[in-house]
Amino acid sequence: MSFFLNQMVIGIQLGSQYVLVALGLTLIFGILDISHFAHGHMYMIGAYLLYIVMVLGGVNYWLALVICMAALSIAGVVVERAVYRPLRGQPHINSFIAAIGLILVLETLVRGIQPDALRVPKPIDKNFSFLGINMEVQRLIVIVGAIVFIILLQVFIKRTRLGTAIEAMSQDREGAALVGINVNRMSALTFAIATALAAVAAVFMAPLAFVSPEMGSVLVLKAFVIVVIGGLGSMKGAILGGYLLGILEALAIAYISSAYKDVFAFGVLIIILAIWPTGIFGGRD
Amino acid sequence: MLELNDVHCVIGKHAVISGVSLQIGEGELVCLLGANGAGKSSLFKTISGLITPTQGTIEFEGRPIHKKNPEKIVKLGVSLCPEGRKLFPRLSIRKNLMMGAYTRYREKSQTAKTLREIYELFPILEERADQEAGTLSGGEQQMLAIGRSLMCKPRLLLLDEPSLGLAPLIVKKIMETIEGINRGGVTVLLSEQNASMALSISSRGYVLENGHIVLEGTARELAGNEEVKKAYIGA
Ligand SMILES: Nc1ncnc2c1ncn2[C@@H]1O[C@H](COP(=O)(O)OP(=O)(O)OP(=O)(O)O)[C@@H](O)[C@H]1O
Ligand SMILES: [Mg+2]
Repeated sequence: MSFFLNQMVIGIQLGSQYVLVALGLTLIFGILDISHFAHGHMYMIGAYLLYIVMVLGGVNYWLALVICMAALSIAGVVVERAVYRPLRGQPHINSFIAAIGLILVLETLVRGIQPDALRVPKPIDKNFSFLGINMEVQRLIVIVGAIVFIILLQVFIKRTRLGTAIEAMSQDREGAALVGINVNRMSALTFAIATALAAVAAVFMAPLAFVSPEMGSVLVLKAFVIVVIGGLGSMKGAILGGYLLGILEALAIAYISSAYKDVFAFGVLIIILAIWPTGIFGGRD
Repeated sequence: MLELNDVHCVIGKHAVISGVSLQIGEGELVCLLGANGAGKSSLFKTISGLITPTQGTIEFEGRPIHKKNPEKIVKLGVSLCPEGRKLFPRLSIRKNLMMGAYTRYREKSQTAKTLREIYELFPILEERADQEAGTLSGGEQQMLAIGRSLMCKPRLLLLDEPSLGLAPLIVKKIMETIEGINRGGVTVLLSEQNASMALSISSRGYVLENGHIVLEGTARELAGNEEVKKAYIGA
């Protein structure tokens, strides 16, 4: 029983990073109708920035979190402005190719500067036990931290004027322009928020894994599957789908084999997609 | 109040508006008649900044607006209630209305007052305030669209075919509401295919064909015009 509980907690922790990354993707998709495949590489940049600020700069972990979020939100605005905005109104393939270009640029750049994988120390390098669950404190930080940011995002979208404007724009872009919402400013804001969430995921996860130039590639693919499963543009769907994938993976590692975890997890997701072709929450929310 | 001077618009390779000039005075209720594809919606989108004219000028209260973004034009006091309504289907009715007041966020108490006025005008919207806009009937959605476009307290309201697809009884109610809004001091430009209905409430009108104004006159003149009768009233 405690083994099962342990795996569930690991699943939720894996899912936490998926949710944070998938939420950004689904927000961007809802607002701009683009598949921002370079989002995982922004996550990677976030992890390297953490290394620079915390390991090289000697800054406290939590302050480093704030710095990485701020820096990445600015980077997100720059990406929207420089890469995607010039392509607005053009066929989807154009922004897709732009995203691939951005991926290549970022990955090559980082690899050129630092070819080896790096390690970031855990801010609290301890284990703890609770109800038969034994795990590292860092995993708890990931789980609780993700929940905090998910709630903050929900409050922002549902309860503030700017958040509602983002939601309105994702439902009708022309209607949004007609009530006076500045659609360019909202696009920039959405990118800033989404990329800051990727930074949060990176800062939380980096102490548990290696920091490497390709760390975002598989993650972004998984996040995309989650976004599709959850229903394109749906935040509820991204949250549910992210945790679901994390738990499926953890159970597969425990009961099948860690080599086949992706096969099992994606197999289940494909079945879900066959049952609900437009995702669990087909319409956006 | 609103003055269009030789306005041209091209969408793709098609000239959809070709040299339209018109004037609307403060307090007027003017209608714009035209068949499907005449260019009514395109003209409205041009006035509200969704389409940039390729030639010509548009002035609102003496200021050129033809190069401005939609959000600037709304702030100046021109509000479009668009064809297809363009509501936010998964936001509640209240949130749709509050988004209509997006540009007035500094005037909290004033906005609350406008919201009460809209609820008085369309009580059904208050009853359903927490319901998603997409679940409303067509007529209710049209009321919400008009309500939303009034939330910014426009001085000029552009209504693009508000009667489209609605039952005659509801059309009559909407037309009466539009008359009331106009009496309340809002200048209105109304586009319609339902010419007799539109002419019955307006003082003047223009007829648009293939992106050109082919006829203009008082409502009475237009209602009596043989061509208008043949083409738009079906008499
Ligand atoms: N996005 C577009 N792409 C290509 N052509 C367009 C576009 N929008 C409008 N048009 C063309 O411009 C012309 C005018 O269209 P518009 O929608 O303004 O007409 P309308 O008078 O509003 O018609 P309706 O009464 O059917 O609403 C039409 O011939 C239409 O096909
Ligand atoms: Mg039209």
